[in-house]
Amino acid sequence: MSTNALGLFDAPSTAIEAAGALKGAGFDSPTVISPIPLHGIDEVLGKKKSVIKRFTFFGALFGGIAGFSLAAGTAVMYVHATGGRPVIAIPPFLIITYELTILCGILATVCGFILGSRLPAFKDRVYVPEVAVDKFAVTVSCEDTERLKRAQEILQSSGAEEIREVEGAQ
Amino acid sequence: MANQDISFAQINDDVVRSLVVTGRNYYITLAISILVTFACFVGPWFYQLRYGIGAAGMNHPTVWGTYLASFIFWIGLSHSGTLLSAVLHLTNSEWRKAMYRSAEAMTLFSVMVAAMMVMVHVGRPWFVHWAVPYPNQMEMWPNFRSPLMFDVMAITTYMTGSIIFIYMGTIPDFAAVRDRTSGWRHHMYVLLSLGWRGTDTEWNRLHWAYTFLAVLIVPLAVSVHSIVSWDFALSVVPALHQTIFAPYFVVGAIYSGTAGIVTVMFVLRKYMKFEHLITKLHFDNLGKLLLVMSLLWTYINMVELFTGWYSESSEEYEALGFRLFGFYGPLYWEMIIFCALAPLLLISKRFRTSFVPMLILSIVINIGMYTERFLIVATSLPRQYLPDAWGMYVPSLVEIAIMVGSFGMFTTLFLIFVKIFPSISLYEVKETLPEPQPKSKPQADSGVS
Repeated sequence: MSTNALGLFDAPSTAIEAAGALKGAGFDSPTVISPIPLHGIDEVLGKKKSVIKRFTFFGALFGGIAGFSLAAGTAVMYVHATGGRPVIAIPPFLIITYELTILCGILATVCGFILGSRLPAFKDRVYVPEVAVDKFAVTVSCEDTERLKRAQEILQSSGAEEIREVEGAQ
Repeated sequence: MANQDISFAQINDDVVRSLVVTGRNYYITLAISILVTFACFVGPWFYQLRYGIGAAGMNHPTVWGTYLASFIFWIGLSHSGTLLSAVLHLTNSEWRKAMYRSAEAMTLFSVMVAAMMVMVHVGRPWFVHWAVPYPNQMEMWPNFRSPLMFDVMAITTYMTGSIIFIYMGTIPDFAAVRDRTSGWRHHMYVLLSLGWRGTDTEWNRLHWAYTFLAVLIVPLAVSVHSIVSWDFALSVVPALHQTIFAPYFVVGAIYSGTAGIVTVMFVLRKYMKFEHLITKLHFDNLGKLLLVMSLLWTYINMVELFTGWYSESSEEYEALGFRLFGFYGPLYWEMIIFCALAPLLLISKRFRTSFVPMLILSIVINIGMYTERFLIVATSLPRQYLPDAWGMYVPSLVEIAIMVGSFGMFTTLFLIFVKIFPSISLYEVKETLPEPQPKSKPQADSGVS
């Protein structure tokens, strides 16, 4: 478990500036914790783009193939001949295909979200309850006391209203 | 948008209060709704299971009755919640944020009640798993060409999607409530929030996942009620076998769902004391949407009549005549007054921004919409092709009781919901407020660049 410097801010703009300053000073991936999503934070911290879209796409693709296979496979294995109509009837089977495409797309999106955001996580994470109300926290992991002091200075100079030293994973 | 004078902390306080502070009225309402559910739904259903499906008034030729009318009604009511929420999310509508959570809950519980109505309708619900495709020793597989199988797939997908959509959007709020509760509530919110902290990565992933879900759910919702309409339209019954049915059902669903949202918003605003979060703006916008949907609904009804008349077939004439002037004719005209004429009041902004008249109108619209669904089944099947096969359908007491009980079940589920789920989205309402500004100025740069 590492030691972290944490600065509490009362405005998102100063929190984003502080995160940018930490990044500029060579700290690896500072984290901003906030009660609302912050616009423009990804540009400052240079986050990678989300992989969720790949989950959604491949989940939906799998669902589509599975849906059509289910309907067509059932029709072929248990032939229900109806007045010269095709055994594999495309229009109705497309509806099954469509529904399973959406279902698997949704389920895969959830998996992408869970994995991408590293949830569930119940223990040993840096967190202060104020950030669920109206405070904005900027936190960064520090290997030694010198780095910790440096990070605290940057947070202080960026306008943090409170500086804390907290244990836990980022 | 919410009242702009409130603070972030006040929103947290209000929502936590709505969850943990419970007045006497809540318990009384909950007790009544549970009583209605047991007396009108569970009891009569049990009686029907013991006595047989003959306890319902359904008989040849009318083998569909109020159970299916209720099924269409509840599926319809479910439509505006998730669909409206997803559409408004994709279009970045700010006013959605204070009301979408309850609207989505309405969707979820309506779909559940609708699924229960199917269980009641099938008569032998212990065989309902036969509709699920799984390898079994009977070598019996579902016929995927049947609209009933479309229904099974669509409703399963819609219910799953709706549960995930509402849950995922609530994770940050569960975390906010987690920090303010104790005892069993705290443990429950710890589990429900999955350890959410609100980091930039989590918000980013939530944004993308939620947006993709919205994109998937909008066409899904449209497909669900189209598929429900095909249960009827793919039969060759006069007055049902029409191409207009899919848009007719989708429009009707959004219409009654929007009216349902108005009812729910009124109740939440008044009884959960969310006056500063749910404002006249919400009612004004919902009123405009209702007006548009009522005009569309009226147009499609006219097209349906015209199509029947223009077909020049005697069976269509008979079915239309029976619907307009037959035994259930007065109900048809009641529906026209409730769903086509009364909503014209929404042209007035004063009406749209008046809470009680909006509540009354929303209830009136849904009475009309239930009537519409009843008429679809009760005026088509009794008048099929050959007069010697005609018959009459009158719902039995068991059917009427179960219909009333379904409202009790919905109310019960919703009342439980408002005490577990934050019924207003904390973080999204906060987003509609002015951005907090720094109180203290940053100190002089200490040499860090």
